[in-house]
Amino acid sequence: MAKPIPKIGSRKNGRIGSRKHARKIPKGVIHVQASFNNTIVTVTDVRGRVISWSSAGTCGFKGTRRGTPFAAQTAAGNAIRTVANQGMQRAEVMIKGPGLGRDAALRAIRRSGILLNFIRDVTPMPHNGCRSPKKRRV
Amino acid sequence: MAYLLHPQLILPCPCGWRHNILAPPSSTATTMSPVLRTGLSGSVHTGEAFARRSRSRSRSVRCMANPRRVKMVAKQIQRELSDMLLTDNVLQFAVLPEASLGADRYLSSLTTISDVEVSSDLQVVKVYVSVFGDERGKEVALAGLKSKAKYVRSELGRRMKLRLTPEIRFIEDESFERGSRVIAILDKIKNDKSLENENRESLDSSAQEDDDNWDDVDPDEGIIYVD
Repeated sequence: MAKPIPKIGSRKNGRIGSRKHARKIPKGVIHVQASFNNTIVTVTDVRGRVISWSSAGTCGFKGTRRGTPFAAQTAAGNAIRTVANQGMQRAEVMIKGPGLGRDAALRAIRRSGILLNFIRDVTPMPHNGCRSPKKRRV
Repeated sequence: MAYLLHPQLILPCPCGWRHNILAPPSSTATTMSPVLRTGLSGSVHTGEAFARRSRSRSRSVRCMANPRRVKMVAKQIQRELSDMLLTDNVLQFAVLPEASLGADRYLSSLTTISDVEVSSDLQVVKVYVSVFGDERGKEVALAGLKSKAKYVRSELGRRMKLRLTPEIRFIEDESFERGSRVIAILDKIKNDKSLENENRESLDSSAQEDDDNWDDVDPDEGIIYVD
């Protein structure tokens, strides 16, 4: 696997990784992983190499606020801003997981002006594999 | 601490709490509203005076659960329902009819459960559903969900251990749509304002072109729906 992008605390500096490949990619894939407590938005190219990512936590939300749809929206906006400068026009969206971030991030992506080709749901589904964690008792 | 009563008069309360309530004896009309968490309910209705006073109240038994518990149940129901939407085949076919034909991972609409509200006696659950997609997709998804309400209720009862599985009502959630529209309008205003500023400051034609392109792009253009 490629070397992971070094995590930077504040987003004021530019990301180190993006200076390496400053190529123009007209078409890309946006992965949205929406769990109940957080949303992670990753923008990759068609082959899967990551261009930039953003999550509700890196956008400055902490704790329970990371799971809210507003946080998902800002995360998606952040991730796309980096990439819109590189000239991405069309994208395919892959959504993983339950959570409020699914809808909110999709709407933010659509609002940002990038054309959506396809929306796919790639939530991992076992064909009855590992034993799932025990049921929560309420 | 059973005070006096005939054991047959002590019933388990229909709400989820593990307490017992006193059954309304047939002669008098007593009301119970036990709010306690454990053990038997506090007040014991004996004596003629009390019976006379409470006869005016209704005969029904209503239990109010702890508000924290209501929140926990709501959260758990949200998790279960979202999981059901993702994994359960029947529900998915109800929401997205084309999934049954095999167009399975390419979606035309995306359904999300945005909020769950549980009544304080845990009997009625209002599920707010938000659908991403066009008008027809929204109608189809909501109609499909409403038609499967009983199935969803039985599935929920199987997955969650509740004394009485609540009645489920699906309601369309407009808040996402509205919020998105508002933010789009605000963005447009911001863009227009920045466009004006730039025009006023310097005649930079390239910036103008970018902004024009922004406005011309129709966000709905590129979406392909699989029918």
